Amino acid sequence: MSNQKEIKNLKSFSTAAERFEGAHVLCPGCAHSIIVREILNATNDNLVVSAATGCLEVCTAIYPHTSWDCSWIHIGFENASTAVAGAESMYKALKSKGRLPKGTVEPKFVAFGGDGATYDIGFQWLSGCFERGHDMMYVCLDNEVYANTGGQRSSSTPIGASATTSPAGSTSYGEKKNKKDMLAIMAAHGAPYVAQVAPNKWKDMVKKIQRGLDTKGPVYINAMSACTTEWKFAPHQTIDASELAVDSLVFPLYEIIDGKELNITYRPKNIVPVRDYLAFQPRFKHLFTPQYEYLIDEWQKRVDANWEYLQRREEARV
Amino acid sequence: MNKKIMELDSIEVWDGNMAAAQALRQADVDVVAAYPITPSTPTVENYAGFHANGYVDGEFVMVESEHAAMSACVGAAAAGGRVATATSSQGFALMIEVLYQASGMRTPITLMQVNRALAAPLNVNGDHSDMYLGRDSGWINTCAFSPQEVYDLTLCSFKIGEHLDVRLPVIVNQDGFMCSHTAQNVMTLDDKTANDFVGEYKVVNSMLDFSKPVTFGVQTEENWHFEHKAKQHDALMNSAKVIDEIFAEFEKLTGRKYNRVESYKMDDAEVAIVALGTTYESAQLAADEMRKEGIKAGVVAPRVIRPFPLEEIASALQNVKAIACMDRSAPGGTVGMLYNEICGALFNTSARPVVSNIIYGLGGRDMTINELCNIYKELDKDAKSGKRNGALQRFVGVRGPALNYYNI
Amino acid sequence: MKLNRGCDMSTKSIKDMGWDELIIGASVYSFNGEIDYNPADVLPENRDYAETNSKTAYVGDWRVYKPVWNSDLCIDCQNCWIFCPDTSIISRDKKMVGVDYDHCKGCGICVEVCPTNPKSLLMFAEQIKNEDALTQWPEKTKGK
Repeated sequence: MSNQKEIKNLKSFSTAAERFEGAHVLCPGCAHSIIVREILNATNDNLVVSAATGCLEVCTAIYPHTSWDCSWIHIGFENASTAVAGAESMYKALKSKGRLPKGTVEPKFVAFGGDGATYDIGFQWLSGCFERGHDMMYVCLDNEVYANTGGQRSSSTPIGASATTSPAGSTSYGEKKNKKDMLAIMAAHGAPYVAQVAPNKWKDMVKKIQRGLDTKGPVYINAMSACTTEWKFAPHQTIDASELAVDSLVFPLYEIIDGKELNITYRPKNIVPVRDYLAFQPRFKHLFTPQYEYLIDEWQKRVDANWEYLQRREEARV
Repeated sequence: MNKKIMELDSIEVWDGNMAAAQALRQADVDVVAAYPITPSTPTVENYAGFHANGYVDGEFVMVESEHAAMSACVGAAAAGGRVATATSSQGFALMIEVLYQASGMRTPITLMQVNRALAAPLNVNGDHSDMYLGRDSGWINTCAFSPQEVYDLTLCSFKIGEHLDVRLPVIVNQDGFMCSHTAQNVMTLDDKTANDFVGEYKVVNSMLDFSKPVTFGVQTEENWHFEHKAKQHDALMNSAKVIDEIFAEFEKLTGRKYNRVESYKMDDAEVAIVALGTTYESAQLAADEMRKEGIKAGVVAPRVIRPFPLEEIASALQNVKAIACMDRSAPGGTVGMLYNEICGALFNTSARPVVSNIIYGLGGRDMTINELCNIYKELDKDAKSGKRNGALQRFVGVRGPALNYYNI
Repeated sequence: MKLNRGCDMSTKSIKDMGWDELIIGASVYSFNGEIDYNPADVLPENRDYAETNSKTAYVGDWRVYKPVWNSDLCIDCQNCWIFCPDTSIISRDKKMVGVDYDHCKGCGICVEVCPTNPKSLLMFAEQIKNEDALTQWPEKTKGK
């Protein structure tokens, strides 16, 4: 039985009272803000939110303004997770000591971090929080680069992507390594719930966010965030890029419960070739040359293999 | 106050780590987030033991690194409660960026710092390298020289940091092993008296106050940053007044008087040693020895190094003829901190003693009373001749050729 | 327990404050005074926003093109509402109300996701008046 409000359809969703305000300074077309709006609108719970250094933090809390209609903290790059973990510990302490203001309703603790903050520099902090089992949600806004500083590679940058510190050139096809599988890693911590979401599939996102907020313990959400500035498509195409990402199964939408039950939550009616996904983004344009086009086939094989794996795990219930 | 009371003897035999842990317990800390590192580990272990036996009502979180410990402390402090942790050396170095973030965000936290050398080479023994590393981090920095002082200053630290005119985090320093692992008599307060002295936590801008959503940790551009750092500096500088008030209150309660600058036999001293940590007490014994030989020796120790008691130090050293500023930290290519701060203080007065800088005791190298007496004898020579009889900076207690720098 | 805000609660604008008047720690409040409601339960027009809430700020000058809304064609599907990165599509009672031109950066996502034919939102040059834009609306496109 969910404690969250029922959201039947987009029209009823639109009656949400926004808690993420405009006139932040994120890029026009930024997927981060679409995701944050969907998440904050999905719940009416009191929120204590943190953000890691990165686009979201820098652009929504630039003195003297804040775009957040809830309590919010940024400490540093690595420690968005630990920031809310500390606040959650304080909540537990004050609650047991009877020192919270009268009538305080239990808040939810939600941390946001980019892929740089999550996959790289804040990885240990995130792991520690999950190992300790804090009652919190961590949302990784995954745009596959250090976008805020101009698009350097992170361990989320996929193979063949051109980033400023793994640029494509005459002797390089860009990023050489494949993405870390954060969902598997966080599920292996014993997290009760992990899931991948994308902003174009709002209903899937809302369901998962609500489930995550209702879940006791640490919850990890990997949110595919198509970055117009760094993936280099036009600002109005953010949702189009998201559609390609999920319909090509490059960003499959699924959830893992208690590290064991994997559920695929979106099965595209028409699976789009990975080639189309890559062709849409100038950060991959060098793959469409004779020298590097073999990588497109490798991409397709990898995505197919991963999709096969997900389906088998879903069936086997392990 | 914690629900379960621990009955203490009026005098307990505690080392510095136990004194720290007991003071934290009595202060009724809401969240302790910590990580073990020698020689501060027993503070955390003792506290864990109290927690496991029901003597601590607050949360105790063992995190996965010192950076995470301080990060969790900041998050917890921003959520409106009393917070503390303990660390040393490498752990302190690891959490450095968060120290600046904590003070910048004005979150009161007490950090029990057991001073230990910084690698490389790796060394777990006591020196002041870590203390010196954090001096610009915007924290109030207090120095305890014995387990008694650790206990007393820790209780004071919460009152100071949480004061509405201060709202800054506080470090309580103590020498690794020489204080942390050396048991001495500690006169205690009972749980209720200690807790009453520390008082209730005052909430300012809590993230758990949903009637007033607040944003912590903004980015400031060049049009705002300076104002906030100025405001922070002003609070740190003015905290001296609050520290004095609380020291006075503590004296009323216990009879033990702390001063932002401690002095020993300085009224008629002609030569003085300025030092921190356990060296202060050793120097007192050496000064007594020297006085038997007719050398008017005295000792000065800054009890609070941030905010630096510039005027009080200048005042304490006005009438001496020769001073040795003894720094227990690798100076990193210049004179030691105490030399710089003392000279800076005296330069704006008419006093012109002969001042030298001694680097000593690194990595736990013992500073003996004998060596301190030798230092006083050199100072006596300087005082009588009116000029320095050697280099400005020298190393004392190192095997091999003498290390002397700056012959100005 | 009386709560302290660490600052002077005067009504002076923050732009006119010196360092001594700012809130400690560079903290920023979202609303004026204390609120006795959960913002999630109260529509933005009924909240008392602080001047330090970005809602009171203006980024309309980021635009070169602006979306113009044609209410005659709109079916209130709310696609534009949900996919606007700048909380600039205003919807009330499940119906589109209009564009918040103070906050709209002209990214064009709302136009892209509008499902009607012709679209109910189209981009026009910033200097064109909305009423003029509405008279220039294209006809329904065939095929596709």
